[in-house]
Amino acid sequence: MTLVAAIFIVLGLFFFTGGSIGILRFPDFFSRLHPAGKLDSMGLLMTLAGMALYTARDLSLPAILTALKILLIVVFVFITSPTATHAILDAGVRAGLGPWTAPKKKGTR
Amino acid sequence: MRALGLATVFCFGAILFYISFDFPGWGDENSPASQHVSPYYIEHTMDDTSVPNIVTAILADYRGYDTLFETAVIFSAGLACFFLLRIPERQAPPARFYRHLATGITFRIEKGGRLPEDTDEFERIDSVWVPYDVIIGMTCRLVVPFIQLFALYVIAHGHHSPGGGFQGGVIFGAAIILFAISNNLRRTLKRMSEKTSALLGSLGVLIYAGTGILCMVLGAGFLNYSALASLLGVDPVSARSHGILIVEIGVGIAVTAVMVWIYYNLSSAGRQDEGL
Repeated sequence: MTLVAAIFIVLGLFFFTGGSIGILRFPDFFSRLHPAGKLDSMGLLMTLAGMALYTARDLSLPAILTALKILLIVVFVFITSPTATHAILDAGVRAGLGPWTAPKKKGTR
Repeated sequence: MRALGLATVFCFGAILFYISFDFPGWGDENSPASQHVSPYYIEHTMDDTSVPNIVTAILADYRGYDTLFETAVIFSAGLACFFLLRIPERQAPPARFYRHLATGITFRIEKGGRLPEDTDEFERIDSVWVPYDVIIGMTCRLVVPFIQLFALYVIAHGHHSPGGGFQGGVIFGAAIILFAISNNLRRTLKRMSEKTSALLGSLGVLIYAGTGILCMVLGAGFLNYSALASLLGVDPVSARSHGILIVEIGVGIAVTAVMVWIYYNLSSAGRQDEGL
């Protein structure tokens, strides 16, 4: 059980790392929101699932209740995080931000 | 000049670093801070106040004066925002725009015209109006009650776990601000007007100070909750626990109201006619 939990947490951290790299490396607002919104949700699901498994490893009632509370956090984040991303993106569109296009290479027109 | 400034900064930084070596080690039980009051709190809190969370007991009971004036500081922050930002005379715009919801036609109503203010068929459109967003509105409607419930839990559960009036009040205020963001300022003002928030803010401080004065009236020191025992019908030790709860509720009300009040003034630059 502990091993499975550890694997989950490490996988979650992998997603978080990918999200951070994506936020830093992507060229513009909209493409940066993509890793910020998606990979954070996935990383959170993985890490919190790992923590829930670790908490509930001895299968006593209080431990399982704590694990359920952790999973409840996941539910709330899965409702609110995409909404927040949607709202930010909507604000970007309304502010008149255009999508990024690849810069033209030198010498070509 | 710049080099001189840098040299000064480095000098004082080095002195600070040097002094920091004289500090006692982290958690050193021989340091002055852990010698006198801390052991007393750790050993006697449960017997004195029957509150398991020592931090809450210190904050609202042993050092109640400190927290009383912290609450007053928060209230005066709200007052300061009000005095700095609020524009009292409301200059009515030359014309207002209303959209008929069923047909999507927008009307321009000149000053002096009859405004369809109290009907559900029209929606006022101002400079920050955005089309009604189903996703955001629905999510906020779903989440706001849970946030408010959680805030009440944090206030009420400050005796046993991290939490208390300040944290719970901020969470409750955040729920109302979330409602204001997802709808608009006018609809929020209709539910909780500026007057309500100002009155609630002062009511919170009044509950706190009033509890203290009630203790004085009953013959003990200011904010000595054990005097409330006869009033609440419990022994003096649990009376201190209940007194902490009363005071925390006051703090929660004050913080909630002041957060919302500051938001009203900041989001509309003090005009409070249009805004998020």
